[in-house]
Amino acid sequence: MQNPSAKTHLYRMGALFIVFIVAFLAIKEWATPSSWNYEVWYRGAALIEDANKPMLYGGNDSCKTCHEEVVKETKKLKHKKLSCEGCHGPLGTHVRGEEKIADAEVINQSRWQCLNCHAELISKPPDFPQFTDEVDKHTTIEEGEGCLKCHDAHDPTP
Amino acid sequence: MKKINSNSSILDSKSRRVFLKQIVSGGATALMIYTSGVRGGHETSRIWKQRSTEHHWAYIIDVGKCIGWGGCVRACQKENNVPEGNFRTWVERYVVTEDGVYVDSPKGGAQGFEPVNAGLKEKAKRAYFVPKMCNHCENPPCVQVCPVGATYKSPEGFVMVDHDYCLGCAYCVQACPYAARFINHEINKSDKCTWCHHRVKQGKLPACVEACPTRARKFGDLKDPESEVSQILQEGVWTVLQPAMHTGPSCFYIGLPKEVI
Repeated sequence: MQNPSAKTHLYRMGALFIVFIVAFLAIKEWATPSSWNYEVWYRGAALIEDANKPMLYGGNDSCKTCHEEVVKETKKLKHKKLSCEGCHGPLGTHVRGEEKIADAEVINQSRWQCLNCHAELISKPPDFPQFTDEVDKHTTIEEGEGCLKCHDAHDPTP
Repeated sequence: MKKINSNSSILDSKSRRVFLKQIVSGGATALMIYTSGVRGGHETSRIWKQRSTEHHWAYIIDVGKCIGWGGCVRACQKENNVPEGNFRTWVERYVVTEDGVYVDSPKGGAQGFEPVNAGLKEKAKRAYFVPKMCNHCENPPCVQVCPVGATYKSPEGFVMVDHDYCLGCAYCVQACPYAARFINHEINKSDKCTWCHHRVKQGKLPACVEACPTRARKFGDLKDPESEVSQILQEGVWTVLQPAMHTGPSCFYIGLPKEVI
């Protein structure tokens, strides 16, 4: 080149700078998801994707759709406020769509199933029914016998 | 030598006065702009923008009702595929004695609690269970620190995590004063309670609220004045965890003793 001016290096640097800026903006535009929410700063589609996740538990009302009689009966009993799925397992493992895929029987019928709530602990509210081994009738329990031998799971009043 | 124009010299008293006035008014303007955005709290959260007018969700925990069953923890684990050892919600047991406070949360309370040893039982003055989870704060420190915008406050108030965008840097895990966030060791991303957003959007309750047998956990819409949560909060006898952090939590506690951190 003939006689580069004294400021050639500056012009070259400026040109490179502009090239990099344009390239950066172009790549940023390409890489940013179209649902990006610029005000709140998150990928908008993420919220919609989460809202569409499948549910596993149905709630007691969902049991009613097939088991209306049982639900009506238990509504009169002591344990009426309990979640059916708490002992019987979630709806999603029992039914898919409209089809039953597995039984919803209570797998764990050991004493732990009842004592999990009803064993005496100092941290439980004092008005909650709690039991130790020193209940009158319980002196005749043999090893290995479950609570269900004498108590109905839906209405355990002795 | 160039002649210094005395009208523009900073040493001149008239231009000095002008200069000082500019400094003061500029500073005052800057201060006003700065302080206008800074007040946290309900209506002026810097983070909760684009608020929904339809719903404002809230969660209430009644400490006096919790029996430490752990079914809520198990329900959440199943509903949200929470891996073993991680907890989106958990139950803590507090036993207060004169010598101090004993706190435990074996497996997050998921399998219930074993009795305390006899020595502790004797010294115990009071004891109770405290369920905890993400508080879905109005000014969430976790959202503030995320370097990539992977966690955010949705218009209805849910603080959510975008697992596709999250880097797993765990800055948010450090920032949360409630230790509600964790790194999900199966997907190596940040994770936390979402108040079962996918359930609430379909008109259902979060899995933990559904499971609770004693109504210790309650969830509802503050925009609905008839809802249980609205009525309880109006009674005015509630508190939050770590109020001094000014995070503006949306989980309100009834009957929370002072020892609980």
